[in-house]
Amino acid sequence: MALFEIKDLTFTYPDADKPALSHLNFTVEAGDFVVICGKSGCGKTTLLRHFKTVMTPYGKREGEILFCGEKLEEVPVRTQSGEIGYVLQSPDNQIVTDKVWHELAFGVENLGYDQQTIRLRVAEMASFFGIQNWFHKNVEELSGGQKQLLNLASVMTMQPKVLVLDEPTSQLDPIAAAEFLSTIRKINLDLGITVIIIEHRLEEVFPMADKVLVLEDGKKQFYDEPRKVGTALADDDLFLAMPSPVQIYNATGQVGECPLTVCEGRNWLQEHFLPQEPTPEPDAERKKADGQTPAVEGKELWFRYEKEGKDIVKDLSLQVKKGELYCILGGNGTGKSTTLSLLSGIHRPYRGKILLNGKDLRKIGDKELFDHFLGVLPQNPQTLFVRDTVQEDLEEMLPKLMPRKEREEKLQKVIEDTEIGHLLKMHPYDLSGGEQQRTALAKVLLLEPQILLLDEPTKGLDGFYKYKLGGIFKRLLAQGITIVMVSHDIEFCATYGDTCAMFFDGGIVTACSAREFFTGNSFYTTTANRMARGLYPDAVIVKDVIEKCKENRRQA
Amino acid sequence: MKQDAFAACHPAVNFFYFILVIGCSMFVMHPVFLFLSCLGGMAYYIYLKRWKAFKTALWLMLPVFLITAIVNPLFTHAGVTLLMYLPSGNPLTLESILYGLGAGAMLVCVINWFSCYQEVMTSDKFIYLFGRIIPAMSLVLSMVLRFVPKFKNQIEKVSNAQKCIGRDVTNGNVLERSRHGMKILSIMTTWALENSVETADSMKSRGYGLRGRVNFSIYRFDSRDKVLCGIMAAMGIVVIGGIATKTVRFLYYPMVTMNGINFGSVLVYVCYGALCLLPLMMNVIEDIKWHYLKSKI
Repeated sequence: MALFEIKDLTFTYPDADKPALSHLNFTVEAGDFVVICGKSGCGKTTLLRHFKTVMTPYGKREGEILFCGEKLEEVPVRTQSGEIGYVLQSPDNQIVTDKVWHELAFGVENLGYDQQTIRLRVAEMASFFGIQNWFHKNVEELSGGQKQLLNLASVMTMQPKVLVLDEPTSQLDPIAAAEFLSTIRKINLDLGITVIIIEHRLEEVFPMADKVLVLEDGKKQFYDEPRKVGTALADDDLFLAMPSPVQIYNATGQVGECPLTVCEGRNWLQEHFLPQEPTPEPDAERKKADGQTPAVEGKELWFRYEKEGKDIVKDLSLQVKKGELYCILGGNGTGKSTTLSLLSGIHRPYRGKILLNGKDLRKIGDKELFDHFLGVLPQNPQTLFVRDTVQEDLEEMLPKLMPRKEREEKLQKVIEDTEIGHLLKMHPYDLSGGEQQRTALAKVLLLEPQILLLDEPTKGLDGFYKYKLGGIFKRLLAQGITIVMVSHDIEFCATYGDTCAMFFDGGIVTACSAREFFTGNSFYTTTANRMARGLYPDAVIVKDVIEKCKENRRQA
Repeated sequence: MKQDAFAACHPAVNFFYFILVIGCSMFVMHPVFLFLSCLGGMAYYIYLKRWKAFKTALWLMLPVFLITAIVNPLFTHAGVTLLMYLPSGNPLTLESILYGLGAGAMLVCVINWFSCYQEVMTSDKFIYLFGRIIPAMSLVLSMVLRFVPKFKNQIEKVSNAQKCIGRDVTNGNVLERSRHGMKILSIMTTWALENSVETADSMKSRGYGLRGRVNFSIYRFDSRDKVLCGIMAAMGIVVIGGIATKTVRFLYYPMVTMNGINFGSVLVYVCYGALCLLPLMMNVIEDIKWHYLKSKI
């Protein structure tokens, strides 16, 4: 039976010229796993909010939504509250109370069940999600992934028929995100609960999905099985957001059946393409920078937060050459972000030395450090904004006494570099994740730094924004700026990084050129590499694999 | 921290106990009572906090005790036993010294019990107890307790981020610093409002505002709690009865007078002592039980 039936839905926000959603028609069957994707601003979130009356935005609406055959507006709020579960983007803001157990019970409390039922529901869900161990904790003590799991669990206590999720993993690191998504999958498979999810980690959700809905400018572009959608999107902007196997499949002329996972992709490659020996590449460009003073140098750094605590950074040494993009990769809680805070001078190592352009960090004063020298982009770009519009926020960075013309020139250049011209009048908090990231970057760039330290710049960005950010980085590198970034994003580092370093247990285990780094690893490497490693060991990114494939087609 | 047997009881039991003990410590300045209360309170506090308890004792309780004990005879001159004249010409009396010591001990007792109260009556227990009287209040309290650390956390993050661009409260001269501080505070207000929208969405979507909301709690009033309540009530009646019937009494002014030692007064002392040592005794019994169980395994 159809759970949701969307009939000719058109929605226009007040004062908007064109509808945010126009003439949508589709059906969600009970038990389906539906992924909604599309570029940011295409109306995904607006659509998602229509699945529950209390969440529906204010505006003009035509058409109708049927929930289990009944008009959604006519379904009582009590039923809706229980049966349609919502999980939103931010792990933090959704949590209402201060204790884990109280949060779990919050929804059921609202529905007014008796103590015994609530106790049972809470117990049941706590055990399903493995929450028992932190059941009595304050929510403040939880990690981001745990918080989002709690949000999911506290919706599940109300025993919903359908879960509606709006980019639930965008603020989580890849490992927590994968765990969260597999939990969603488990809920879908084991409990038969319908899932409607907006997600930009298509690599992971594509293989799970029963149906994929692609929106463009509020219109339905495709609504079909993932394989078919993947094939159909061959020459679209959204192509970049597709999982690597799909991208490779599309770019090589769509022979055979579209692969979705690494495993499928590997078999598909074996079947259609011939292997090729790796050709050693001359690394001429790389050698050039040798012999110069490194831009950033750390010598045997040790750091811990408390005297009695354990060492977070242990015997860390690194060398970053001028004008390169240095990526520090590694798991959660290994001390990557702490390392960045050492390099930026927020924390001081208790042993070891940090040299920036050959100068000891301790001897560089505040004024000098933040003027034409060092720029730091924190993990949450939002924390950099202090004004009401982007423009004001940017202007704030320039000295008051600077001549007007120079001011404008500088602003103009940075705005062009980061492509934020259309955002100047907006409130920084109203921007999407990718836009915030770029605006924050612009703000830091106004200090005209020579060294840029970035903490997870690609967190929460979709493929399209990552591509844009990559372009910006390239431009900055060409201007001679050195970039050090900490990241979980293997694909991004492989595509844009010059040197990649593996961070583990408080120190850098190995640091070498991106290609060398990824071809050497078997697990910690890109999807494209994992897929093609049997045939083309030196192909790291999607583009490499596509090129190789084109050269080595198996003749039918 | 290890599990505290007394804190594991029903919040009502905890609360009732503290009312009884703190009330008695506050209003009865009988030296035997003060001694028992001090002993019980301190022992329990040390049991709860281990070494840290001595720190509080040294830096907070000792000064309070000394100041009260010294100040009282300097300003109060009542009492009949004259010891000497102060340089100002006022008399120094034995009674006022004793009263000062008593008052100091009383303050120390109360501080001690309140410190224990803080350890035992965590926010959720408090919310649970008072949420029953005013249901909406309990949710508000819980939300406040959620919000405050979140806000603090964010301020720290913003401050660190601003430090990275040389615009934190620690950067620049006094004027610049205060300007940076104001800016951070102003954006924090925006942040709080902005985020509350999403919280409101999350509450609405989980059916907040529907008629008939109930308050769930993880506490159960079990038979042990009933027994404890009974014991506490019985002891409380004996103690309060003893005070009301003046079986135990102590006067500082104009002359130190104390009740005699007889069966009645000893009974009251024993009851009060048992009451003060109750949490500790529960813990010790529990520990012994465990030790015994372990040696059996």
